[in-house]
Parts: sequence; structure tokens; C-alpha cells
Amino acid sequence: MAQGSTPAPPPVLQARDLHKSYGRHPVLRGADLTVAPGQLVAVVGENGAGKSTLLKILAGTLPADRGEVVLSGTLGYCPQAPVLNASLTVEQHLRYFAAAHRLPDLDRGRELVRLLGYEQYEASLAGELSGGTRQKLNLTLALLHDPDVLLLDEPYQGFDWDTYLRFWDLVDDLRTRGRAIVVITHLVFEQDRFDLLADLTDGRLAPRTTSRKDHHVGA
Amino acid sequence: MSAPDALRPRPLYGQFPTALRFCVRDQTRNRLAALLLVLFVPAWYLMMDALAGHTTLDFKLYATGQVLHIDGGHLTLISAGLNSVTMIAGFVVFDAVRKALAFDRRLVYSGYRHSTLIGAKSLAIAVVAGGIALYTVLAVLPFWRPGPGGWFAVYAGFTTIALAYGALGLLLGVLVKHDLEGFFLIIMGGLMDTFLQNPLGNPLANKPVLQCFPSFGPMQFAVGGSFGHTALWNHLALGLAWAAAFATIGLVIFRIKTRSRVRTGA
Repeated sequence: MAQGSTPAPPPVLQARDLHKSYGRHPVLRGADLTVAPGQLVAVVGENGAGKSTLLKILAGTLPADRGEVVLSGTLGYCPQAPVLNASLTVEQHLRYFAAAHRLPDLDRGRELVRLLGYEQYEASLAGELSGGTRQKLNLTLALLHDPDVLLLDEPYQGFDWDTYLRFWDLVDDLRTRGRAIVVITHLVFEQDRFDLLADLTDGRLAPRTTSRKDHHVGA
Repeated sequence: MSAPDALRPRPLYGQFPTALRFCVRDQTRNRLAALLLVLFVPAWYLMMDALAGHTTLDFKLYATGQVLHIDGGHLTLISAGLNSVTMIAGFVVFDAVRKALAFDRRLVYSGYRHSTLIGAKSLAIAVVAGGIALYTVLAVLPFWRPGPGGWFAVYAGFTTIALAYGALGLLLGVLVKHDLEGFFLIIMGGLMDTFLQNPLGNPLANKPVLQCFPSFGPMQFAVGGSFGHTALWNHLALGLAWAAAFATIGLVIFRIKTRSRVRTGA
């Protein structure tokens, strides 16, 4: 994976000079982020640092006051709190989102259900699932269309150890296929898994130097 | 990255039928509303039939200027049915729309066309409202047997008010912040609206101010058809105009609340 003299691939996601305030309280003050294909990035910050605000702006669900986000390719977004329909089963969720993404089959959805180990709940209503299984379905829906960029907000909250390991196997598979992943978290347990760690402090993103590769962050 | 449309494999599930099916399912899984429909509607008819008596009342048909002298008990059954329909249709749609709002937003971000989701949602509301109206008009038969034309007029009036209050449920579902606000507005709005149309409970009935309420048109159509043997289509259209106005405002707000802001680069 050494970069050598080959030119860096064009970014798949680029955020420039993002500003966001809630009333008189500024949360983002010129945050920049550039993510290349195959890159695994962690955005780390304390509670209230603006991590979820940043991710919502990157996902397009919240408007920035200033700055812009440019995406090349498809986007998958996994919000922190599962966004599901309690009256639909797991299988019906897969069908609904397959229709949203105009997918020709449910193969990828069924594969993800199997990889995350909850195939026994396919006929269960989302409203009757445990918190961890709801989170698995939440993640499955974000990954269903095999997006070029995946935004994950505290993705492994509620996962048991086995699911946590399955999650990283899945992430490794995505990265080897050139998919970029941005994980937002307040705690990083295994820093060496990431290509880049960026701390969100004072509304700006600053790269840590301990990441395993030298990737660019910021403008 | 994206194949030309001609080479893209055919989607397994169409967006419109999938959304329609799941929207109808969403709106028919409200057990409290189902219980209200099955038990409350006949109980409400029974109570109103016992309370209203059969005194003759004057009811003005605005389209013709004619004042009908009609059985107050039967008239009260019509306004009781209209009242039940406003409450149940409004509640079912409000609850379903409100619970699904964040989920719908996620569907749109995932590629669902706004127009498709809105169309499916609207049709689902119409299907559910039609079902509620049909049950309510069938439940009146043990208490009152109008002729076929009269029965159809009451059914059309009930369907129209169900559509209007279903659309109001949609509007409130995307607009208000708390459940209680929506329930209160639907229940109180429906109660006031339908109560005012009946001269038995409202001495001011037959006054022009009543024309400003959503149930005015459906009540006029139902009474005109069942007692006056006349079809006041303009008044039915007035009820549908209320439904269209509520739905349009609600769907515009729905569209605004579910739009994406990310710019897609080359």
C-alpha cells in the first residue's frame, strides 16, 4: 500500500471550511476533511465537541452555515441512534432499502445479515429486536448498496465482543475493495487500525501523528 | 462508477409498490385506532341514538337555500359518524407519519424519489381513509336504514371527511413537535367542527360561518343526499379541497424536511 511516486488518488469525500453554530454557540469553526478511496479515518472528540454535527453535515442531513461538502460516488450513512421502522421486519427493511437504491437483488443484504450474525431475526419486527441487533440492522442498511464512502457514528455501541470483531472483518473487506470509511467516536481503542486519526477540537480537525500511514487531513 | 441506464440491472422491487405496501401496513398496525374503530364507533352511535331522540330539526342546504325538516336522531347519527371518522382517520395518519418521519428521511437520503414516496404515502392515506369511512357507514345500518342513494351520499361524505382529516394528520405529523399537540388538535378540531354542523347541539347551526369548517361540505352532501334526494357535488368538492389543501401543505413540509444538502462531484 506504499504510495511511492504514484499520484494520490482523487478524494472521494472533501469537506472545506465547515462552520456551524447553534444560536450563539459555535460548534464547527472551519473544519476540513479529505478522504481518499480505501482510507479508514477516525474523527475523535470529547462529548459535545461537534462530532455528530460534523457527520450530519457530511451526510447531508444538516446544512452547514458556511463551507461545502463534495462527494464523488455513493454515500452510506449509519446514524448513532438506529433509524428503523418498528412495524417492519428485518427482511422488509432490506426490501425497502433495496427499492430505495434500486438494487437488482437482496444478495448483499443477506450477506451482511449473515456476516453480522443475526440471520435468525430476519422475520422479526424491528421494534422487538434488542439494542445490539437494531444497531446491526442500522449498519446493514447503510452498507446495503456497497457505498464508496461510509460514514459511521459510534458504530459499535451495543455490540458484543464477537460482533465487534465481525465488524472489523467487514471494515477490512470494504477497505481492500477501495471503500472509504469515516468513523466518528469519542473513544478509540485500537488506534493502529486506522489510516488517520483526526481530533475535533475547537471546531477544527487536527490530524494525530500516531496513525499508521501519513494521510492528508485539512486544507 | 455508474453504468449507463440501459446496462443497469432491473431493480428487484419497484419504489412505488414497495412504499405503498409498507405505508398501508404502517397505518393499519395501530391497534388503538383499530380498537376505536371496532368498538367506539358502534358505542358512539348507540349513545347518540339514545340521547338525541327523534325531534324534527331544521337543516339548511346552502346550495339550494332549501330548509329540510328532518329527524334529529338520524341527523345526529350522521354527525356522530363524521366525528368518529375525523378522530380515527386523523389519529391513524398522524401517528404513522410522525413515527416514520426520520425513517422516511433516511429512505430519501438512500435514493427514494420524493415524488414516489409522497405519492405512495398519499395513496396509502386515501386507502386507509376509505376503509375507515366504509366501516363507519356500515356500522350505522343497525340504527338507521337510508335508501341506497342516501346511504351512498353518507358514505361519500364520510370518505371525504376521512380524507380531509387524514390529510390534516399528515400535516400535523410533519409539523408539530410533540404527540400531545397533534392528538389534541385532531380530537378538539374534529369535535368542534362536526358538533357545530348539527342544529341539535348548536343553536347557531345553519349560520353562514359554518361554511368555514372542513366538515361543512361533507355534512351538506350527506344530508342533501339522504334527506333531500339531491347530490350537492360542489359541496363534496369543497370537502375534497380541504383534503387537498392540508395534504399539499403537509407534503411541501415533508419535502423540505427530507431534502439532502450534499453536493455530488464528478
